[in-house]
Amino acid sequence: MNVSTPNPTGPSLLRSGFTIVGLLTLATVGSLWVDHHISLTSQAMLYVLVVVIGAYSLPLVPSVVCAVGAVVAFNFFFVPPRFTFAVESRENLIALSAMLVVALVISHLAARLRSETALAHRNAQRARQLQELATQLANTNTVEEILQLGQQTLDAAFDGPNWLALRQPDGELSSAAQLGLGPQGDLKDGLQCCMRENAVLGPGTGRWPGLNAWYLPLGNKGQMQGAVCIQNVTAADTPGREHAQAVCAQLGQTLWRLRLSTAMQETEAESKRQQVQSTFLAAISHDLRTPLAAVVGAASSLQTQRDKLSPAEQDRLLASIVREASYLSTVTENTLQLVQLTNTTQPLQRDWESMEEIVGSVLARLRAHDPNRRIKSKVPEGLPLIRANPVLVAQLLANLLDNALKYSDAAIDLVVSTDHATLKVSVKDRGNTIPADQYQAIFEPYSRNDQSGQRGAGLGLALCRAIAQAHGGELGVRRRQGGGNCFTFSLPVDPQQPQGAPP
Amino acid sequence: MSLRVLVVEDDREIRSMMQSSLTVEGFEVQTAVTLSEASALLHHAPPDVVVLDLGLPDGDGVALVQQIRRNQSLPIIIVSARHQEAQKIQLLDAGADDYLVKPFSVAELLARIRVALRHRGTALAAAVTSHSLDDLHIDLATRTVQRGGEILHLTPTEFNLLARLVRSAGRVVTHRQLLTDVWGPEFTEHTHYLRLYMGQLRAKIERDPAEPRHLLTETGVGYRLAVA
Repeated sequence: MNVSTPNPTGPSLLRSGFTIVGLLTLATVGSLWVDHHISLTSQAMLYVLVVVIGAYSLPLVPSVVCAVGAVVAFNFFFVPPRFTFAVESRENLIALSAMLVVALVISHLAARLRSETALAHRNAQRARQLQELATQLANTNTVEEILQLGQQTLDAAFDGPNWLALRQPDGELSSAAQLGLGPQGDLKDGLQCCMRENAVLGPGTGRWPGLNAWYLPLGNKGQMQGAVCIQNVTAADTPGREHAQAVCAQLGQTLWRLRLSTAMQETEAESKRQQVQSTFLAAISHDLRTPLAAVVGAASSLQTQRDKLSPAEQDRLLASIVREASYLSTVTENTLQLVQLTNTTQPLQRDWESMEEIVGSVLARLRAHDPNRRIKSKVPEGLPLIRANPVLVAQLLANLLDNALKYSDAAIDLVVSTDHATLKVSVKDRGNTIPADQYQAIFEPYSRNDQSGQRGAGLGLALCRAIAQAHGGELGVRRRQGGGNCFTFSLPVDPQQPQGAPP
Repeated sequence: MSLRVLVVEDDREIRSMMQSSLTVEGFEVQTAVTLSEASALLHHAPPDVVVLDLGLPDGDGVALVQQIRRNQSLPIIIVSARHQEAQKIQLLDAGADDYLVKPFSVAELLARIRVALRHRGTALAAAVTSHSLDDLHIDLATRTVQRGGEILHLTPTEFNLLARLVRSAGRVVTHRQLLTDVWGPEFTEHTHYLRLYMGQLRAKIERDPAEPRHLLTETGVGYRLAVA
C-alpha cells in the first residue's frame, strides 16, 4: 500500500540505518554496562525492548532488519561462547530462535498496526475533504471557481501531478492548469477517451492498466462535463481511487447543476426579451396601422370617387395623406432609432457640438408645423460646447417640441441654460398637466397620455430619454407653474473645452 | 430645349414618382436602376443634372460621383434614407452638390434642382463673387459684408469661412470641405473650430443667432448659406 509505505528514498533509508545502529548500540552498551549484575535473560529482554521500540518507529523492512540485528548482536556479545557467532548449548539456541521469532512477530504486528492507523487517519481525512468540498461547491457559482476548487482538492489528496479539464461546447478541453505542461498528446487522448467511454481508466480499473495514471470522467453519459487525470498512482490504491471517484462525482454534479441553472437563466432572459419585443410590436403595429389606414382610405377614396368629390374635399384628403404619411415617417424613424440605441453596444459617435446650432436647425425644420410661431426660444450667448451626437440630440429636441405643439394651443417656451457641469434644455407648454403618477409611465415605450384624445408620438418620449441617457444625461418632466408641463433634458458639459482655432 | 435630368433610383415607385413629377415640370427625364446603367447613360447622353439614390444594387455611388467629377461639372443631388448618414457625407465630400433625406416632398426636390442648376456644378462655383438676401449683402471682390447698409467687421478667418459658403450659396458644404478650404487639410477633424467660428459669424450677421436666417445648419453634415 503506497499509503503506509512511501517509497524508501535516500535520506529516509539512511535515517532508518542510523536508528537501527543507534538502538542496537544502546542495547549492547546497556547490557555490557550491567553485565555480571543481571542474568542473560534480562539482557535478552533489553534487546527485545529495542526491537519493540524499533518496530514502532521504523517501517516494516528496517524493523525486521532491526529485529534480526538484535538477535545476532545478542548472540555475538552475550551468548556463550561470547564474542563469537557460535552457540554452545541447545538451550541457548532455542532461546535465541524464540527471541528471533518474537522479534519478527512484534515488528510485523507493529507495522500493521501503524499502517491501519495511518489508513484510518487517511480515510478520516478524505471524508473530511469530501465534506468540505461539498460545502464549498454549494457556494460556487462560476465554472472557474469549481475548476480552481477541484484542482486544489485533487492536489491536496494526491501527490500528482493532477489535471482537471472541462469540455467546451465545441468539444475541446480547457483546463485550470495549462495542459501544455504535461505529455500533452497522451494526456488529452486519455481525457477524451475516458469522457467518451464514461469510465475510469488506469491501474486497478481493468481498463488500460498499463498506464501510471487514472483518468476519471466528470459527469455521466450524455452530460459529460470534463475529465480528471491523476498521475503516479498504483493499482493497489483502491481507497485512493474510490476517493478520487467520489471527488469527481461531486465536481461533475456541481458542474451539471451550474450548467442547468445557466441554461435556465438564458431561457428566462430570452423569454423576457421576447415578451418585451412582442409588447413593442403590438404597440408599434397600432401606431403604424392607424395612420396607414388613414392614408389608404384617403388615397382609395381619391382614386375611385374623385369625380364626385368637390375640389375642397379632394384637397382635404390630399392634405390628410401628406400629414399621416409624414407622421408614419416620424414613428418609423423613432422606432428604428430606439431599437438601434437600445440594442447596440457601440459607443455613440460624438463630436463637439453647439446647442445653439442644434436649436436653430430644429426650429428651422419645425416652423413648417408652427406657422404662428408659437415656439419662443431663449438661448443665451456663449454656451459651452458639448460632446454629442447632433442628429440624436436634434431628434430629442424635435420630439419634445412636436409633442408640445400637439398637446397645447398656447405659446411654448424653449429655454437653454447652463451651469459649469451641465447644459439644460427645457420645453415648457400650457397643455393639460400630466398627473404625477404618470411621470414614469409616459417614458415607457408606447404608453401614452390619452386624456387629451390626441394621438401621441407614442415612442417619442421613450426615445428622448434613451438619447439623453446615451449621452450621460437625463430627461425629466415636472409640473409647470400656472399649468402645463416642463420637460427638461440635461447633458453633461465636459470641463475640458476644446482649444480655440488659430487666428 | 428642355433640361435633362438623370434619375438613378432602384425603387420602382419612387422612380416613377420622380419621373412623372419632373416631366410635369418640363424636364426631360432619363432613369437608371443601377450604377452601370447610369454610367452608360452619362456617357451617351450627358444630362444637365443627376439625382442619385444611395443603396443601389450594384455598388457604391462614390465611384459614380468621382467618375462624373473627373470630366464633368454637372450638378449631382444625393437622395438618402436617414441611416445612410456617413455614406451621404462621403458623397458630398467626393463632389456631390446637395442631398435630400427620404421621405422628401416633390417641391423640395424641385427647389434643390433649381439651386443646383443655377450653379451649374462645382467647376463654375468660383464665378460667384457676391451674395444678397434680405438686407444682407456680401461682396467677395471687395471683401465687404453689409447688413441694412451698415458695414460689418469680420476677422479674416470669419470672412474666409463666409466666403466659402457664398461660393456654394444654397448648397450644403460639409464640415470637411469647410475645414479643408478655410484652415487646411490637416484640420479636417477640428470640427469645434467650425462651431466656434459659426457662432461668432452668426452673432455678427444674424438678427436672432438661435434661429438663423442665413447661416443654416445641416445637422451632422455641414452648413448652407440660405438663398431664399
